[in-house]
Amino acid sequence: MIWILLQRFGFLVVFAAFFCLFAAWNPVFLQGGNLLNVIEGSAVLMIIALGMTLIVATGGIDLSVGIALDFGAAFAVVAMKSYGMDWFGAACAGLIGGSIIGLFNASLVIGLRVSPFLATLSTFFIGSSVQRIFTNGGGPISHRRMPEEFRNLAIGDVYGVPTEAVIAIVLVVLYFLILERSIWGRRIHAMGMQRSAAIIAGIRVNRILLLCFIAASVTCAVGGLIAAANIRMFTPLSGFSYLLDAIAAVFIGAALHPRGRPNVLGTLAGVLFLGMVANGLNLMGLNFNIKDALQGIILVSALALAVAQQRARNRLVS
Amino acid sequence: MSLQCAFSLQGVTKEFPGVRALDNASLDVRIGEVHGLVGENGAGKSTVVKVLAGVYQPDAGLVKIGGETLSPLTPDSVHAAGIRFVHQELHLIPHFTVAESVFLGQERSHRLGLDNKAMRENTKAFLQSMLGVDIPSNRLIRDLTTAERKLVQIARALIDEVAKVVVFDEPTAPLASDEIETVMSAIRRLAEQDIAILYVSHYLSEITDICDRVTVFRQGKTVKVFDTITEHSGRDLVYAMVGRNIADMFPAKGDRAKGPGLEVTGLSDGSAFADISLSVEKGEIFGIAGLIGSGREELIDTIYGLRKAQTGTFQLEGEPLIIKSAAQAVDAGIVLVPRDRRHDGLVLSMTMAENVTLATLDQNASFGLENRRLARERTEAQITALDIRPPNPDTVTRLLSGGNQQKVILARWMVTSARVFIFDDPTIGVDVGAKSEIYQLINDLAASGACVIVSSSDPVELQGICDRIAIMMRGEIIGELQTEELSVDELVSAITGAKYIKNLTDVN
Repeated sequence: MIWILLQRFGFLVVFAAFFCLFAAWNPVFLQGGNLLNVIEGSAVLMIIALGMTLIVATGGIDLSVGIALDFGAAFAVVAMKSYGMDWFGAACAGLIGGSIIGLFNASLVIGLRVSPFLATLSTFFIGSSVQRIFTNGGGPISHRRMPEEFRNLAIGDVYGVPTEAVIAIVLVVLYFLILERSIWGRRIHAMGMQRSAAIIAGIRVNRILLLCFIAASVTCAVGGLIAAANIRMFTPLSGFSYLLDAIAAVFIGAALHPRGRPNVLGTLAGVLFLGMVANGLNLMGLNFNIKDALQGIILVSALALAVAQQRARNRLVS
Repeated sequence: MSLQCAFSLQGVTKEFPGVRALDNASLDVRIGEVHGLVGENGAGKSTVVKVLAGVYQPDAGLVKIGGETLSPLTPDSVHAAGIRFVHQELHLIPHFTVAESVFLGQERSHRLGLDNKAMRENTKAFLQSMLGVDIPSNRLIRDLTTAERKLVQIARALIDEVAKVVVFDEPTAPLASDEIETVMSAIRRLAEQDIAILYVSHYLSEITDICDRVTVFRQGKTVKVFDTITEHSGRDLVYAMVGRNIADMFPAKGDRAKGPGLEVTGLSDGSAFADISLSVEKGEIFGIAGLIGSGREELIDTIYGLRKAQTGTFQLEGEPLIIKSAAQAVDAGIVLVPRDRRHDGLVLSMTMAENVTLATLDQNASFGLENRRLARERTEAQITALDIRPPNPDTVTRLLSGGNQQKVILARWMVTSARVFIFDDPTIGVDVGAKSEIYQLINDLAASGACVIVSSSDPVELQGICDRIAIMMRGEIIGELQTEELSVDELVSAITGAKYIKNLTDVN
């Protein structure tokens, strides 16, 4: 009985089970403030995971999302601190900084025909080194007198909703429309599923790849702006911590999709799930060191369930 | 060849929900014969193979081997009774040697572990004596030709030398035409050694070539058993398979040329072909014939922008044209129905509607957002026009039959304003009934004024539908033939270079 329930609605059941467990363990979990914390705390990961979703949908993977985030933060902080730009100029500088990473990735993948995995891995290595050199070994660049408007990207709110959550929601909607409802999304999915068939259908796959790499890195740079605004500094290599969670979220999302495709709503579910688990485990007061292990176990079980669910669904079809 | 029965299926019935896949079917294969099994897609051939393999349990009927009823019918009991299967897919590991592949899962050992020497020698001897080929047993699979891999796969099934019956399921499907003979002669050699062979294939020319007797299935029933097969049995086989005469398999031709269409001048790719010029008029069906390695496939890929051209120019309806990518070709109105439809033609996990509208997405969109209702409507119109089954635009294309998959690709190009249609081996793996529908559709395209190029490895098809055929050999067009006064035999001789071609018009 439970097994059938798990097979049919696997991930939802796990999600609900954890939700109840955390709620029962510590009532604080259910309080509005805490749930808002989960959402707010997931905003930057959500933004990075959106960029990752886009690249995985083209059939690749992006290991340099963290570097794009770092570049976004660095360019914005330096623009304000050393060039005295206002918040808007700084934000633009950050996005341009991020786009450099996408351009570099695209030139490796399209120009030199390196596989996305290895291309973005190289970008990751090179980008990390550039940050260390630029900061003389990795020291943060702080900017205490950051313009208030820029600060508000992280700590402000729009009608009571934290700005970073608003930015994440806007991006989720935008990505959903592009990837799941637009003709460009259809082309991206087609090339991600069967590249040669997409080429023969007259789809300009290289142009799409270029645009996707740039869009993904600029999106990650938005995450960088928020991160920089939050702590009023640029911390080199801080983007790395998002990489693995972003990959996990995208693939949880893909496992939820009937065709196993990366998709925006699935990624959203994945990010919220990871955020909820992290928050819940914290509230349970568990040893911080076992958190990652638990997260790994949960991840594997959720994915295994999703696969079982897909099989059950396919059986129903055939 | 003796008349003794090696195995037989008697009154086998197998039902699946909603379908009676086998309906009182029988099959009788004698020792030392090559017995063909033919039928259209869905006639029950693969179900028979699976019943015989012990994968499906029949609802009624018996499987007898050497006169004794095989019971229970399981993969193990079938194997023990000496029935072996050589499946269509190769399933070999590229980095294994020939001997390792042959003995995979049935390794010989001595006290110190694997007896590699014995396995190597055994493999070599087996390949020589049973199959009549000389393949070094320490060579890697990845260095073998496809035909040699097929032979290794056969050796793997037979190396324990207890096989009495071998079932070949489409053994030549992955092979190039000049490799087929190697495999066929190995199969004949097996039959001479008193092994019964069941040969399941779509390719009627092979069936008439190799089989001693043939059983024809239609809709799960055994409709006819041919006790003698000659090279002229093809027509009778087709008649038995589809239950009607396909004398008019090919639509009537007419004088249709209506002025300049696609012109290719001096095209070279620097390796596979050089200095190719051809000109296809509007309303004409232009064939390109050639063996594997003649540069035919590469030429098609280059015209479509998939390969880089080194020299050469294109003109379409008198206007010069630059084609450096498939997207440019499509924009110019040149479209391709590729030879490998499952790999290059369709995005298999997408639905029919999604595949049909893939090249015309911007026509079904406002502000970039897709209008799915419109896309479905357009697809439904094409489904009706081309008679695609099942007539549901939401069907995932992976589930369609070969002929219907081909129609979906064609439908995608019909909704564009394409002016040049290139078909690359359009009916490979398509059953006879769907074939004739596809020929009709190709003919309709030409009649409506499109330029049509058909590149094919099937001379019967080329002779049947084309107005003119260019013969390619070793990267050159060696001549062009009008099909009116051309017989298939003449065409074959021209393609294989066996005979000097009369009526040859020099194109260079």
